[in-house]
Amino acid sequence: MLSRAEVSNRLSGFPRFEDMSLSLPYAPRMPRGMVRETREVVAIARTFNDEVARPRALELDRRTHEDPDYMPLDLVELANRWGFYTMWIPRIFGGRGYNMPSMSYFAEEVGSACLGIMNVIGVHYLGVAGVVASANTRLAKRILGEVVRGEKTGNPCLIALATTEPGAGTDVEEVELVDKGRVACHARRVRGGYVVNGTKVFISMGHVSTWTVLYAYEDLKRPSETTVGLMVKTGTKGFSFGSHENKMGQRVCPASVLVFDDCFIPDDQVLFSADMVRKFTKKPIREVAQRYIDYVVGATRPGVCAFGVGAARGAFEIALRHASTTTMNGTLLINHEWVQSMLAEMYKNVTLGRLAYTEANYANSHRGLYKILQLKPVYYYLRLMPQAYFDKVIAPMLEKDYSTRLMGKLSYDWARPEDQRCCSGWASLAKVAGTDLGVRNCQMAIELMGQTGLRQDAGVEKMLRDIKLLQIYEGTNQLNRLNMFKCLIAPEIPQARVFEEDR
Amino acid sequence: MLSSFKSEWKPFEDLARSFAAKELAGKAEEHDRYPFGEFFHDVLDKACEVGFLGIMLPGDLGGTGGSVGTLCTVLAALCRVDSSPGGIIFTNALAQELLLAADARDIAGEIFGKAPSAGEFLIAFPSYSNPAHQDNLPEYRRSGRGYSLTGPVDLLVLGGLARRAIIPARSGPKRQCSFFLIDLDHKGVSKSEPVFTLGMHACPAVDVRLDGVRARLIGEEGKGEEYFDRVLPAMHVVAAAMNAGIMRGSLDEALAYARERFQGGREIIRWSEVSMLLAGMAVKADVADMCVTQACQALEQGDAGWSSRCAAAALHIHEIACEAVTDGIQVLGGNGYMKDYGQEKRFRDARQVQALLGSVPARKLDLIRKVAGV
Repeated sequence: MLSRAEVSNRLSGFPRFEDMSLSLPYAPRMPRGMVRETREVVAIARTFNDEVARPRALELDRRTHEDPDYMPLDLVELANRWGFYTMWIPRIFGGRGYNMPSMSYFAEEVGSACLGIMNVIGVHYLGVAGVVASANTRLAKRILGEVVRGEKTGNPCLIALATTEPGAGTDVEEVELVDKGRVACHARRVRGGYVVNGTKVFISMGHVSTWTVLYAYEDLKRPSETTVGLMVKTGTKGFSFGSHENKMGQRVCPASVLVFDDCFIPDDQVLFSADMVRKFTKKPIREVAQRYIDYVVGATRPGVCAFGVGAARGAFEIALRHASTTTMNGTLLINHEWVQSMLAEMYKNVTLGRLAYTEANYANSHRGLYKILQLKPVYYYLRLMPQAYFDKVIAPMLEKDYSTRLMGKLSYDWARPEDQRCCSGWASLAKVAGTDLGVRNCQMAIELMGQTGLRQDAGVEKMLRDIKLLQIYEGTNQLNRLNMFKCLIAPEIPQARVFEEDR
Repeated sequence: MLSSFKSEWKPFEDLARSFAAKELAGKAEEHDRYPFGEFFHDVLDKACEVGFLGIMLPGDLGGTGGSVGTLCTVLAALCRVDSSPGGIIFTNALAQELLLAADARDIAGEIFGKAPSAGEFLIAFPSYSNPAHQDNLPEYRRSGRGYSLTGPVDLLVLGGLARRAIIPARSGPKRQCSFFLIDLDHKGVSKSEPVFTLGMHACPAVDVRLDGVRARLIGEEGKGEEYFDRVLPAMHVVAAAMNAGIMRGSLDEALAYARERFQGGREIIRWSEVSMLLAGMAVKADVADMCVTQACQALEQGDAGWSSRCAAAALHIHEIACEAVTDGIQVLGGNGYMKDYGQEKRFRDARQVQALLGSVPARKLDLIRKVAGV
């Protein structure tokens, strides 16, 4: 047999064993309580689907065509009442503290009924990730605290995240590209804060959010070194909304244009800046900014995969119902072999997509953004301690500078680059896989259903319109493929260069 | 683009391109708001005036007397800009071809010979289905000297616009299929609101319920499927020409955007990943044009054995069109998903066009049965 050194040597070759399967080493380390918790989350999602999402999905889609200015305020209130906006906020911040991977299962469930409604719930957590990944515990406590109070008082408080600009979409997702891009959202340092000028576009739920995580740049010629993250409250002087976009699908979830005109943001709403980062790390700001982006998208892209799997499943379920109740040449479609084969293929796509987000979540759980929360002692501590303990003992600590410094050290200074690559690479892999499979299933369902599939009232054509967006947002699938290459393949090839192609 | 293969089609292509530039360009999104916006009656009237509603109909019956190649050339050029008028012209041509296949020239003459307006010239038809595969067609029975129809017709294209419709119906123990002409103003016809569908919103369809509606038999009783089979090869190619046009339009817009949009310090067309997407689209658009042209020429020459090849060419073109329009959105990123650009409409329309003449799997099974002779 091989010696331990030989085994180790063999396993370090490409692909490295630790990158081949994340569930194999990490599943046994998962706290068992997560399973029970996830079962509960899925049951809640199914109840919500039966009571809200399914009965309303098509009617709301039609309504947005009749009235392009429709805003989903009633849905937001409902979701707030169901507790969905605090469900995955950690208990130290006052939230319900459900485990993060369970959100993917939730997204698949609700996404299978309506991706637009799922986005009305889910995109808030892109904002939450933007806040938490900054390591700024003081501001996180304040903002997330408002979300929690908003749930208790019945006044929903949502967080949007604003990155994309009219002239820069892909560029703002990668530090390697942003300096060559055409970013224009400028943050000028002034006494006591920043003054922002610029425009952001395609900002999901912008119009109906209370807070926006805004990324701007102190020097537009060196954006990678001068990125600032700012928390902007809706209603702030100088911050207004343009139109909301006229999209093909997911129309119930508005995509907003945000306009900043000499908008002053005080220092206590600065989430992330070069000055703040220097307090906890000596690493170059470029590197920290990339890490920050990777933390956010590393956690949210597996969620997008789950959305895609939701659509894949929704399309499968509609096709299955159609095939079980429709005849062709006197025989139920379900009893034609070609139909059985297509349905099996669609079921396979759903399952493969689910495996992809599960693996990517293992990466985040053990090597990424929320790895501390998934350590067994921490997990049970957070689950079992009374909320009063967090409110009275932990919350005041989050206000202190040392708390932000500690989080900063943990998240940025002491984190391993290979872990960053693993999480970011798997997140992109899952995102591409889940969304492509989702599109594929919607297409197959429409083909299988013939003319019925074309009708809005049959549901599946809306799913195709809805899912197409997933191949574009959170980085186009083209960008995500390059990020996969950068994170999972290029490190093994010394001569490989990414985002530097010769003209 | 099809005229580059055959110069005889050039005048028709020029006419269609100038019509599209004048009546459709820049208005596709507005037209597509139907049924939540206004219907483009003015465009339809002008299409009727220039003869687009009767391209393959013989001159003595009130048509233009063009060939299948002419119709394909016109539809490809129109659909490059907006496919909804293409869907209307397609449906009307399908109804006209069925009348001719059934040798019902008398009926055709009565309808088209003296049609004063587009509304009179249009014939509604359930063009997203093949009656041979439909188990739930209306029932017909003899009624006095004529016939009467009872039952549902789903997605009757142009049903809300036309005065008349051609309806397939079945009867008897053998469930034989026949075609009938009905008057949509008959009291036994109840129509739904326009059905909201994936694409081609300005080529609307309604669900219809027939209750003892007086009907006139087209051709001979029990020969419906035979007539439909007879018109299928040409109409498959015509539908394929629509998707060839949609693909070409998607490529136009993707190329224009890729030349203008900067990312990573250069026009996106200068990144090879985007170039590969564009190249894939260009390959598909060219292959589609060649397939359509070859099929048209074979049909016009009456070459034997082309019926299954026409079906094959159409299936292939629809498939690659649906791929190409997806990439057409990707090239534009978030903008491609917005109605301010034409790509999202093409993405929807290509799927809708693919569904003309029956479901894809059913058409594939038909094809192989014919090829294999089983």
